[in-house]
Amino acid sequence: MNMHTQPQRTPAETALIDAFGERLSLLPGDGAVMLKRDDAIEAIKHGLPTRRIESWHYTDLRRLLNVVPDFDLAAAAKAISPIVEGSAILPVLNGVSSAKPPVIEGVTVQRLSEKLTDGSVAPGLDPYGTDDAIGALNTAFVADGYFVDIADGAELEKPLELQNLQAGGQTHVRLLTRVGVGAKAVIVERQTGEGAALVSSVSQLVLGEGAEVTWLIVQEQPDTATHLAQFKAHLGKNSKLTLFVMNAGGKLVRQEVVVRTTGEGADFTLRGINLLAGDTHTDVTMVLDHAVPHTTSTEVIRNVVTGKARGVFQGRINVHQYAQKTNAKMACNTLLLSDDGEFSTKPELEIFADDVVCGHGATVTEIDHNHLFYLMARGIDEKTARGLLVKAFVAEVIEELDDEAIVEALEARLDDWFLTHG
Amino acid sequence: MPAVQDTIDRVRKIDVDQYKYGFQTEIAMDKAPKGLSEDIIRFISAKKDEPSWMLEWRLGAYRRWLTLDEPTWARVHYPKIDFQDIYYYAAPKSTPGPTSLSDVDPELLKVYEKLGIPLKEQEILAGVQKTDVSEFEEASDNVYKSGRVAVDAVFDSVSVVTTFKKELAQAGVIFCSISEAIREHPELVQKYLGSVVPTSDNFYATLNSAVFTDGSFVFVPKGVRCPMELSTYFRMNEKNTGQFERTLIIAEEGAYVSYLEGCTAPQRDENQLHAAVVELVALDDAEIKYSTVQNWYPGDAEGKGGIYNFVTKRGDCRGDRSKISWTQVETGSAITWKYPSCILRGDDSSGEFYSIAVSNGYQQVDSGTKMIHLGKNTSSRIISKGIAAGFSQNTYRGQVSAHRKAANARNFTNCDSLLIGDQCGAHTVPYMEAKNSTAQFEHEATTSKISEDQKFYVMQRGIPEEEAIALIVNGFVKDVIQQLPMEFAVEAQKLIGISLEGSVG
Repeated sequence: MNMHTQPQRTPAETALIDAFGERLSLLPGDGAVMLKRDDAIEAIKHGLPTRRIESWHYTDLRRLLNVVPDFDLAAAAKAISPIVEGSAILPVLNGVSSAKPPVIEGVTVQRLSEKLTDGSVAPGLDPYGTDDAIGALNTAFVADGYFVDIADGAELEKPLELQNLQAGGQTHVRLLTRVGVGAKAVIVERQTGEGAALVSSVSQLVLGEGAEVTWLIVQEQPDTATHLAQFKAHLGKNSKLTLFVMNAGGKLVRQEVVVRTTGEGADFTLRGINLLAGDTHTDVTMVLDHAVPHTTSTEVIRNVVTGKARGVFQGRINVHQYAQKTNAKMACNTLLLSDDGEFSTKPELEIFADDVVCGHGATVTEIDHNHLFYLMARGIDEKTARGLLVKAFVAEVIEELDDEAIVEALEARLDDWFLTHG
Repeated sequence: MPAVQDTIDRVRKIDVDQYKYGFQTEIAMDKAPKGLSEDIIRFISAKKDEPSWMLEWRLGAYRRWLTLDEPTWARVHYPKIDFQDIYYYAAPKSTPGPTSLSDVDPELLKVYEKLGIPLKEQEILAGVQKTDVSEFEEASDNVYKSGRVAVDAVFDSVSVVTTFKKELAQAGVIFCSISEAIREHPELVQKYLGSVVPTSDNFYATLNSAVFTDGSFVFVPKGVRCPMELSTYFRMNEKNTGQFERTLIIAEEGAYVSYLEGCTAPQRDENQLHAAVVELVALDDAEIKYSTVQNWYPGDAEGKGGIYNFVTKRGDCRGDRSKISWTQVETGSAITWKYPSCILRGDDSSGEFYSIAVSNGYQQVDSGTKMIHLGKNTSSRIISKGIAAGFSQNTYRGQVSAHRKAANARNFTNCDSLLIGDQCGAHTVPYMEAKNSTAQFEHEATTSKISEDQKFYVMQRGIPEEEAIALIVNGFVKDVIQQLPMEFAVEAQKLIGISLEGSVG
């Protein structure tokens, strides 16, 4: 949060503080949880972060968040079909989890509202830093979500799909997932809905020794919604996490990825696609801590900017002093297709260990004229040729995912976007 | 591979005390009282015999400074500076300024001789045939002796002497101290001073605007290629003083100038502040090449003492097809906070930044550049090599931005860091902002230690380990060394060797 005292509260800040007063009696939680909520709203009372806060340099939340809708408890969200057929669905409709979640072998699913009421999830509710506005906002208001526990050794055959579907108003959802020793799973996080909503969504994942998880975040909010999301993960010994993030919607979007390797041999892969159109402001911010020796990570982010869209990618790799033998690589490539669009990127390396190999690369450019010429020389008209090149640029990232059903499903989402924004 | 124990031990014992310019000289000094106030500024202005507009300009900056907060965003940590505990003006007595070398205090000349800048000999030797071989060898030992380089020597707060002034004047080049320029060429100073770094720019630049005491002024008129390298040598001698120098270089249409600054200071336990401002203005087709070999006292092995080097350097490519190139070799200072920048305003203008930052002991470096693309078809290139050893922290912080109208802006950035020892840190914080679809930006950064393969390759040829490492480090910084004027490249290479001594070489 902003350390400077703000001279005056913005309407959005006032609306959030008022909403907290009104909602307080309805929010689940025991004493410990309620104390965390109080701390969180205090942080918001100090003001939303401005560009003077380094981690919010390109997303001045105080200026950009200008509409905070009221809670609309009567609104109904429509269920949607999963991206991979046959997935087990965990729906959160307008901020409320299902009373009867599906029964899956090796998986325990509980409603988060129950876990908040009994206070067992209180310790995990703290924001991760003083500038963690999304964590604070979510902690103050979170009412529901799921607690998912995947048993040791369980190997899920079908993906598990969490659907966070908003219906306008505000929703604040949290998904806690623990993956046991040696377990394997594919988890899909869908973020979509209809309406001018304010959504805060926090996903927390703990990977046990040797666990392998592919986690896909597919964000397709309408262009009226504000979507503030956070994904936090702890990677145990020899565990492997592949995180795929696709942003293809929303008015004001911030997706934070906070990952920490806590066991030797852990491997983290991030693949991201940001498809930006209209006047969206989309920010993907990653903080990756290599906290133990012998861990590896690679991150590739591809951005396509059209219209008046503004895109941001901030990626910080911290290599702690004892995290020798770290191997970390990050790349951020952007196609800036319109003169009204803009893209800012800040790939950071903070390195305190000497025996490491770390690198990052970033590019911003338009479509390569040679490539365009190559296609057009073969009789393809310019518009089609451009479309092909842009699609190939982002599809490359999807194809790396090693699962045919998922690749197909994501390519379908991609086609969807190109159809409406082509 | 982790650093071998032997290397770690050497790093621990790192002999920063071998700083060879750490001597101090007893010279009768004329000082202003300690502290900062409007009266002190009036005192400085009066000492310098400045016109009233200059005093007003200073006071304006001072009032502005009072409203500013010290910046804290850089990755450097130091105890709070007491700005009232500093002498803002210290000058060797025997002013008013000498008109020729014979008027200069011999003690002062000795200082520069010790530093390897024998102002006197140089001027005498110039144009004289060197016949004696041994003399020639001795001369080539030091770059300042071998080449024809005009030097402006700044001692604490004042410029003591400027060499080759006559010859430069024949070419139309004005090279003098800024105080002299304020008196002799007020129209030029008034036109350009503060036009690149405004008085309100940042905390230290504003402080500098209020209290700057001397520095160099270069004016290269239209179509003139400056006949020799220009150089300023800064020396901080007096205790508890801050050095606030101001440099202004103007290259008119089609002009070219290459300028080098060097700096040293005595070894002291307390920290000293150095807050300089450098402004470059390049008009149509002009080119300015600015090189720095910064070797302020870095503090001792425990991190005690050393210079706080808080510098604002900015070049304005105001004219079309103009070019500004910054080259820096940073080996000294306890703390370096410095971002030489280019504003690429003119169409087809280009900016370059080549940097080697070596940190050892407890040094902290937060340095980089800004390339602001405003005009069409502008290009910039950034090559930064950071080498961190001992307990030091070495940060590259740079910004590249293309504004809406900067069609076809082009940038290439490469910053590599090398870590020697596991107690130091290397950080890279690049900001890239593109607002034009035809902009093409590329950035790459790597951090690593010397690879085993490289070392094996060299050692296999019978070269001992430490020498092999030194060889590889030299290769690592070669791209930047090549950009230095040839006479200084050798010096810079030696300097890097000395800075890393005990850790690699």
